[in-house]
Amino acid sequence: MAISADQERLALSRLYSRFGFGPKPGEFETALKNGFQTTKKSFLIKPSTGDIASDIAPLVIDDMGPRPAAGTFAGVEYSVKIREQIRDMTLWWLDQMVTTDYSLNEKMTWFWHGHWATSIEKLNFALPMYKQNNTFRENALGNFSTLSKAMYNDGALQYWLDGQENTAKAPNENLSREFMELFTLGVGRYTEEDVKALARVFTGILVGRTSGDVSFSARRHDSSPVNLLGTTKSFTAQEAIDLLTAREDSFRFVYERLWYRFISSTEDFPAAKSRTAFFGRDVFLAVSDFVDSEYMYDPRYAMVKSPVEWVVGVCRSFGITPSKVKNPQVFSAGLTKLAQLPFAPPNVGGWPAGEAWLTSASAQFRLSLAQTLIKSADLKEFKSMKPAARSLYLQNLLGVYKWSKRTSDALTIARLDPERMVLLAINSPEYVVGA
Amino acid sequence: MDTLSRRRFLALSGGVGAAAATHVLSVNEIADAAISRPLTPGTPILLVVTLYGGNDGLSTVIPYTDSLYYSLRPDISYAPEKVLQLDTTLGLNPAMTGIKSLWDKKKVAIIRGVGYPDSDRSHFSSMAIWQSAERTQTTKSGWLGRWVETQPEDPLLAINLGSVLPPLLVGKKRSGSVLPLGGLVTPSGSLARDCSRLSLPSQGENFLASRAATSLRNLLNISDTISPILKLPVPAAPDLPTINGGNAGGDNNLSQQLDVVAKLVTAGAPTRVWAVSLGGFDTHANEANAQSDLIGIVSSSVTRFLAQLEPSGRSKDVTVLVYSEFGRRVAANASAGTDHGTSGPVFVIGDSVQGGFYGEQPSLKNLFKGDLAVTTDFRDIYASLLEGVLKAPAAQILNGWKGRITSLLRTQ
Repeated sequence: MAISADQERLALSRLYSRFGFGPKPGEFETALKNGFQTTKKSFLIKPSTGDIASDIAPLVIDDMGPRPAAGTFAGVEYSVKIREQIRDMTLWWLDQMVTTDYSLNEKMTWFWHGHWATSIEKLNFALPMYKQNNTFRENALGNFSTLSKAMYNDGALQYWLDGQENTAKAPNENLSREFMELFTLGVGRYTEEDVKALARVFTGILVGRTSGDVSFSARRHDSSPVNLLGTTKSFTAQEAIDLLTAREDSFRFVYERLWYRFISSTEDFPAAKSRTAFFGRDVFLAVSDFVDSEYMYDPRYAMVKSPVEWVVGVCRSFGITPSKVKNPQVFSAGLTKLAQLPFAPPNVGGWPAGEAWLTSASAQFRLSLAQTLIKSADLKEFKSMKPAARSLYLQNLLGVYKWSKRTSDALTIARLDPERMVLLAINSPEYVVGA
Repeated sequence: MDTLSRRRFLALSGGVGAAAATHVLSVNEIADAAISRPLTPGTPILLVVTLYGGNDGLSTVIPYTDSLYYSLRPDISYAPEKVLQLDTTLGLNPAMTGIKSLWDKKKVAIIRGVGYPDSDRSHFSSMAIWQSAERTQTTKSGWLGRWVETQPEDPLLAINLGSVLPPLLVGKKRSGSVLPLGGLVTPSGSLARDCSRLSLPSQGENFLASRAATSLRNLLNISDTISPILKLPVPAAPDLPTINGGNAGGDNNLSQQLDVVAKLVTAGAPTRVWAVSLGGFDTHANEANAQSDLIGIVSSSVTRFLAQLEPSGRSKDVTVLVYSEFGRRVAANASAGTDHGTSGPVFVIGDSVQGGFYGEQPSLKNLFKGDLAVTTDFRDIYASLLEGVLKAPAAQILNGWKGRITSLLRTQ
């Protein structure tokens, strides 16, 4: 199909805001010059393990070990240290999102956090969550089956879904049900008998509460044969996960989830267009497939930025490193009010999407957080330019497809006041909702 | 507004003394707005309490004389002398003393065995079914969102406490509103003018962008009317169990939410549907204490809420619905918890309620694959509340649903 300059701009806007966390200063202009096909090639990068392309130092989180007796001074220090670890870890991740040049990989790390949604609220210790976060990052664009097996061995996920309570004597279905429903197959693609069978296969896991280390207890494991999705045998957990992730339902499910988070949370995944590239379970190919698709140009598929996407996008555009601002606690306070704090999804289904973020309360909290963020924004270049050039500059800086007449009018009225203009731009419907 | 009514408004909203000098002007403006169109006393109000995670029905309404109950749940059953006995077979969880006292005043209807055919055991699918009142979510709207659309446009009509809109209040074109605890800060001066510019409709824009604009517009409307009422100290939340459950949605500060609702109802907010929630009911392990603490909070918060409304006379107008997405498996698992099940009891509470039991108690003898039978469809309850409380066309909102709970509400 022939692509107009207008469509090209739409696709680039979507590439940066959906498959990354928005452009850094200058990036969007360069992309417009180079065109979508060239930009796409430099965007679709799968980094080698451990390479995070950011200046942020890796985080060191100590294993807290056993809790001192209640009521002692050591007990208080212990609680304080846990809080500090969680605070540092949250800022560390926001810093990664803001500074990385591997935007796609970090965006997929965020995607998997929402997919295998595990919350610090139950874990209470940072280290298991940090390990899980690195597992997401290392497998972000890798093989889905490998990721699923790594998640089975993830202490945070196991503890979150009562894996340590699931024993031969007393099966607990929490993990097995969510493993099929929310993680690998999708609801309705298995039976209640399969949930029970998988629970037995998954028995015998022990989790180190503070370390997140997982071990296996043969004594607690049920090795009797089960019928899982039509196959009867004595499965190991790894074999069972291979069976699940090899199913066509699993490919379909991952495509549906990618569709929902990257293309449209309001329109259904076009069933007739089931994709083929994922048959190697290669997430990188699946994501690339969406980037290469006609969906990128289709005006029906607007997407709301979730609060984290919005905050990180603003920080990237205005050179704000979350841990370096004067009061870094504004990030967790603001994101808590906006109901999307990293490491604390509301439940195992992850965060909502779409209209859920467009309430009047969200509008107010975005306004209020924006007013604080602007104080740390680098506005030197913006302030030095002619007022008449400011509106277009902000449009490109933020990677916005097009300002509506309403927003354009509001920006024009505010053009002599740079801070006010930025406040309006980042709270405009066109930035909060990507075309 | 005259001095007396302003003082009365401030007293009701607790603003006297608490309001700093700089706030008075804005409180005055807002008090004017709230008093200009208060809800007519006597207008029925519906309060929906959603329990997220799947509340264990058998630990809520307990068949305390059934020997099967004790043999199926050796570690998590309640002894007959602990149970708050309602009749010769059923009793409430020992923590539910508040609701028991309302039961004794004939203000509590307990509808037993509520669910829908072919129960879905996924938290998310089942909650979606309950909130949309559709077996397959074809319209992607909530039952009360569809009710909102039968009414004249008003952002104050249906309000959820919390910052995210639950599916319950989502309509096809218009939805209910949300109100975070702590309230909203009114954009004022040039910021308010800027916001109102950004909130104008723009031709050809996509649906979601127009919703973003509407949310800014509603912010200006809503915060004008009620934010000062919420600028009050929020009572401390009771400690909640967080180790067990807590991973299937819902807010964890029910009593705070209900305190805010009580203030607003008393002040005469023109709101006819309120939605609040409590999470943590997903008790797969070590259930007894966690579930009992949570259902105790529901009981005491709802009871206190109704008592707070008594002086204003509005307690007569409020009907409370308490439900969860499913009950739990009859037999305990060996982590002293229970897995996802099927039917459970639903509570409808208020002065206009005909107290007593409705629906058949599911038998513990005739289980279906280890689960309780569904004896009442939840849509029967919705239809009765839509017609009886909201005086709304239930069939239109519930896709022609015909079932009703006979004589659930007193005829006025």
